[in-house]
Amino acid sequence: MDELYLDNIDEFVNDHNKIVTYKWLSLTLGVHVNTAKQMLYHYLDHKRKESSAQLHATYLVSGKFVDNGQTSHKISVVREDQLEDFKAKMSLIVSVHVYSVQKALLKDSSPLYSVDYDAVKDNLKNCSKYSAIHCTSAVPMSSLELQQRREMQRAPTPEPAVKKTGMNGEANLASKPSTKPPKGIMGMFGNKAAPKNQDSGKEVKLEQKEDAPVADAPKSKPAAKTNPMINFFGTQTAKKPDNKTVKVEEAAQTLSTAEQQHQGSQPEEKHEAAAVESPKDIKKDSRSKTKRIEDSDSEEEKMEKKKRRRIKKPEPDSSDEDVIPDSPQQMETREKSPSPVKEVESVSHSHQGVSEVKIRKRRRVLKSRTFVDDEGCIVTEKGYESESYSEAEDDAQATKQAPKGPVPAKLPASSKEGEKKSQKKMSANANKGTKQASIMGFFQKK
Amino acid sequence: MTTLTRQDLNFGQVVADILCEFLEVAIHLILYVREVYPSGIFQKRKKYNVPVQMSCHPELNQYIQDTLHCVKPLIEKNDAEKVVVVIMDKEHHPVERFVFEISQPPLLSISSDTLLSHVEQLLRAFILKISVCDAVLNNNPPGCSFTVLVHTRDVATRNMEKVQVIKDFPWIVADEQEVHMQEPRLIPLKTMTSDIVKMQLYVEERAQKT
Repeated sequence: MDELYLDNIDEFVNDHNKIVTYKWLSLTLGVHVNTAKQMLYHYLDHKRKESSAQLHATYLVSGKFVDNGQTSHKISVVREDQLEDFKAKMSLIVSVHVYSVQKALLKDSSPLYSVDYDAVKDNLKNCSKYSAIHCTSAVPMSSLELQQRREMQRAPTPEPAVKKTGMNGEANLASKPSTKPPKGIMGMFGNKAAPKNQDSGKEVKLEQKEDAPVADAPKSKPAAKTNPMINFFGTQTAKKPDNKTVKVEEAAQTLSTAEQQHQGSQPEEKHEAAAVESPKDIKKDSRSKTKRIEDSDSEEEKMEKKKRRRIKKPEPDSSDEDVIPDSPQQMETREKSPSPVKEVESVSHSHQGVSEVKIRKRRRVLKSRTFVDDEGCIVTEKGYESESYSEAEDDAQATKQAPKGPVPAKLPASSKEGEKKSQKKMSANANKGTKQASIMGFFQKK
Repeated sequence: MTTLTRQDLNFGQVVADILCEFLEVAIHLILYVREVYPSGIFQKRKKYNVPVQMSCHPELNQYIQDTLHCVKPLIEKNDAEKVVVVIMDKEHHPVERFVFEISQPPLLSISSDTLLSHVEQLLRAFILKISVCDAVLNNNPPGCSFTVLVHTRDVATRNMEKVQVIKDFPWIVADEQEVHMQEPRLIPLKTMTSDIVKMQLYVEERAQKT
């Protein structure tokens, strides 16, 4: 055993032309780091006496250093030729040991890091097994503790808590950084108007949840998840995802995983591209969205109740839908979809607990029928018709409508004329693009 | 397990991108380690999660980027057999040749999710090997310059001449004296085999450099 390690190191250094650091050696040979340091020292000593091959070494020097009257503890890796100079500059030397041995004269320290990087990566779980630095309280959490931690995080409101993401990252290296995204997105909300903060955050989350049942799209990239966010940001006015939240209630039955949301948001992504603010924002949003989804089951329910109340209000007014308003009032928009939407809602409730698969529902849609009457004139009539649709189309249209949803607080003040005009405007806009065809189902065909 | 053919251009482009990024880092590192240019122009940057030395000189960077931009289509179609970084002395006689032999399997099969991180690890090992290569090589004489040669298969060069990839950056057939070296010594540095590419790096060194 005693002499074997010398041969090992010799093989590594001379035959393989490797850089042998003490950390790498301890992980490779399975010995304590202090033993590894001693091995390297003996090897160097041995070889120097033999003076066979030319070897270079680096040393780690640590000690007290006085700089302009300020004392600091300095730890440096220095080349052998600079060792004596460095030691002379230190006021007190705490430790000096061999850091690495190699054949090549290193011009900079980058390879030293590379050597340890792979060795540590391979032994990630027990990289400190042979280490001399030890903390008894630093023990990996058991899976039970991990779960408890996660639940604890879901309970408080999703404020930008950066420290929490740090904890999550440490707790479970293997799991995705799921808590990060929502905090990030909430941070962005924090920059927007304050009252919007809570609501918008929840709405966004709900939108995301809603996307889950639409499992028709292929796995999308993270960027796709930002669609509900894009809805939020893309429209420059204070439109709220009103209608969308209604849809969300339906989908809220189904708890979605992150993957489903990916899939769901794919169709929306395409026609939302125009509304995108900037690629960077989207990426940030999407990351933050992912985690959002997983949080807040309780908030969802609160929102659902809120939305239900709101939607029931304009119902009696829906008889005037044919009236075309004079002046567009974008600020006071309200989807005219409330009445058909309510149908949807009721239908969806009957589908409680349904899985993430697409659901075909029947709904009443305002459609215009063109026919020739008795006198031979072509007449166009508008009326509600029952129509079956799938959630995919619904989502597409919901996302488009989402930005137009008014702020809950503004509901009482909204005027119907304003609603109709804005709806017409939206239907005009929605004419472009194939995905938006479904929106036309809600509004009269022009 | 997905099996893609060469016709799947997207994947070919991905492989070409990976290789060209790697070659750019490798060329910069070779210039640093072999002291072709003074170390002052180099700056520590991060690639594959490890620090590497890259040059800050804009014209040098542009030259290397243009070179690789022209090489990329050849790699995509698997026409590039070797990419060689030649270090020449003042008389334009090669003293060292860093040869990257590249071959791509005809059927690319992605057998694992960790493919790219595995490739990253292998490329990291290449970078490390280049960093310590001066242990096995003799010092170069002062005043060296460098050039990049590409050995292609079949008729790829004719195609290249037809289509100039970058304007004002023409590629010409290399002179005999740039390609051949007197009394070369072969020093293998590193080999890597992965699902998407096989690469070998060795150095041919002239026995007498000065």
